[in-house]
Amino acid sequence: MTMLTEMTTLDVLEAEAVHVIRECAAECERPVLLFSGGKDSIVLAHLAIKAFAPAGLPFPLMHVDTGHNFPEVIEYRDRFATDVDERLIVAKVQDSIDQGRVQDETGLHASRNRLQTTTLLDAIAEHRFDACFGGARRDEERSRAKERFFSHRDAFGQWDPRNQRPEPWTIYNTKLRNGEHFRVFPLSNWTEIDIWSYIEREGLELPSIYFAHEREVFLRAGMLLAAVEEIERLPHEKVFTETVRFRTVGDMTCTGSIASTAATVAAVIEETRNSDVSERGASRADDKTSEAAMEDRKRNGYF
Amino acid sequence: MPVETPKLHVVAVGSVDDGKSTLIGRLLYETGHLRGDEIEAVEEASRKRGRKGIDLALLTDGLRAEREQGITIDVAYRSFDANGRRILLGDAPGHVQYTRNMVTAAAGADAAILLVDAKNGTTAQTRRHLAICGMLGVRDVIACVNKIDLVDYDEARFIEIADELVASAAQIDGPRITAIPLSALNGVNLTEHSPETPWYDGPTVLEVLHDLDPPVIETAFRMPVQWVIRHDEGTHDIRGLAGRIDSGAVTVGDEIVALPSGATSRIARIDVLGDERESASAPLSVTLHLEDDIDVSRGDVIALAAEPPLVATRIRATVAWLDEQPLTIPARLEARQSTRTVPVIVEELHERLELDTMEHVPTDVLEANDLGVVSILAAQPLVLETYADNRALGSLMLIDPATNRSVAAVMVSNVLAG
Ligand SMILES: Nc1nc2c(ncn2[C@@H]2O[C@H](COP(=O)(O)OP(=O)(O)O)[C@@H](O)[C@H]2O)c(=O)[nH]1
Repeated sequence: MTMLTEMTTLDVLEAEAVHVIRECAAECERPVLLFSGGKDSIVLAHLAIKAFAPAGLPFPLMHVDTGHNFPEVIEYRDRFATDVDERLIVAKVQDSIDQGRVQDETGLHASRNRLQTTTLLDAIAEHRFDACFGGARRDEERSRAKERFFSHRDAFGQWDPRNQRPEPWTIYNTKLRNGEHFRVFPLSNWTEIDIWSYIEREGLELPSIYFAHEREVFLRAGMLLAAVEEIERLPHEKVFTETVRFRTVGDMTCTGSIASTAATVAAVIEETRNSDVSERGASRADDKTSEAAMEDRKRNGYF
Repeated sequence: MPVETPKLHVVAVGSVDDGKSTLIGRLLYETGHLRGDEIEAVEEASRKRGRKGIDLALLTDGLRAEREQGITIDVAYRSFDANGRRILLGDAPGHVQYTRNMVTAAAGADAAILLVDAKNGTTAQTRRHLAICGMLGVRDVIACVNKIDLVDYDEARFIEIADELVASAAQIDGPRITAIPLSALNGVNLTEHSPETPWYDGPTVLEVLHDLDPPVIETAFRMPVQWVIRHDEGTHDIRGLAGRIDSGAVTVGDEIVALPSGATSRIARIDVLGDERESASAPLSVTLHLEDDIDVSRGDVIALAAEPPLVATRIRATVAWLDEQPLTIPARLEARQSTRTVPVIVEELHERLELDTMEHVPTDVLEANDLGVVSILAAQPLVLETYADNRALGSLMLIDPATNRSVAAVMVSNVLAG
């Protein structure tokens, strides 16, 4: 019997991601998978587990915890690590603050999003990681569109977009000097819809905040932010209850929700297809500051 | 026979200012791949730069240095769906000094969109891009004679340029050319036929993309081993050979050979990421289980025993030199080929390809962005095929161990004995 199953775009994307994950595991000495409990990192972790099954992962998971994460996501994160029986390292931004490595921001737009970079780079140095898997996709943002699968970072964690390593065919230059590392992006060619379609196909569970739920929110710069004590509000920023869901799950202080009644994966896919706003546009408060904001943060080692 | 892959890789190339970024931006826009806020961001960026209306080129020109200089420096990738297939569109830089980025973007591409300015006509850079496409095995070139509005939609001018392109491609035994009179700015013949060019009855750019042949996947089964999965299942140890099928298909019971060792066995089980199958084909990532416990490790290639690739240490190859530091002979480097890394010596530099004239000229140095023909000796046997026979086993990357830089993309033209 030589019947071959028909291939879908998801099959090809899955095969590509697994190829990159296996290459990195084989070529790098101490990889780590950055796991935030967000949908992209959940898909990434799922792919990594598939890549080495029935054996366990040859690398740990790591979460850079800002301390301002949604409790539902933290709960999901811990349950996931226990369920798959893999090692989870939690690097805390609070520790970096306590050690005086960074200063907590204050005021209206205070966010720990920018502080994460120091915590991440410190954790990379502490554990001597030489490769960090990330769930970034090229369709997220213009400067991401130029990312390689193996994105080289110098000893300061910096990305030099003008001097990226060529990646002809599927051959990757995985050479590193001491202190340097790679950010490895197996989901580079996936789109937001691909991620959701894959979640549906594989029956993956997600943190509840991805689906419609009632929440106390307030409106700022066209976005519905969660009304929580971590975010300072102006007097006119009135709190109200709305049925919302989140399209990404970053730091609470800078991740906006959207009004939505989509309560299932299928409904989310339908809504995403018809949406006139990109994922980043719907969710990221801090990106609006400058057109080149993302690129600048990435140059400095952001993920 | 392998099944059709629902994914195509298309690269867009052209000289600076020929309108490549505009074309890509407009194509995504007209096919509904841009969201409202992305369009707004581009409108905002256009206003800041004092442009009239919306400059869709700003959509793909993502990096700050590029926005400042107004040129595309690095390859940007966008995914879009056309006719039920996923197209990965690589936007390659135009400047001569970034030819290496174009090589990177075009390696593995199934088709190219090549831009020519209708006013300037074909240039040395156009011929260079055609030659690189030919060398990399890009089958189809959609040659867009852009800014046709600036020559008053003149049919004679279009035919003149189209003829030049076809002649250049013929000279190098190059790819198939489909020439289209285009105005990326005004959306003429991009996704819709235009009344501005009543004399043109060929396809639009989008129609050509819809009708592209599926990627060529060679039919002989090859799978480089990336990783050996070991797992103790109580009664017995499991050893799975994990890798991605580069070409062809494999079925349970097939007799295979592991190279370079030459040990043979049969396929006992095929695991496609948790899904047990009778057979699997390229480009799937799989885990193969063999009937016998033969010695296989990362770097080995599993192939059908009846049609094995070659094992050799010496090759003749075309190189695209990517590094600022020129190539002189002998060069001691490292080669990444398939899943193997071995020390190599570039022993001979036979000639350089003069891209403007397509002539082969003798030389003893290759500068950055040059193409040439070399002989390479590897310190250990490699599992090889010619690039024409199998892109995956016929391609290498050279790395300078002193700098860790990727210095060359290499395509095997002959596998030599000894
Ligand atoms: N008149 C005219 N101008 C065009 C056309 N396509 C692009 N341009 C202009 O040519 C310039 C360069 O275009 P761009 O897309 O940035 O070129 P790239 O360097 O190849 O990416 C811009 O000012 C465009 O507006 C066209 O079809 N007609």
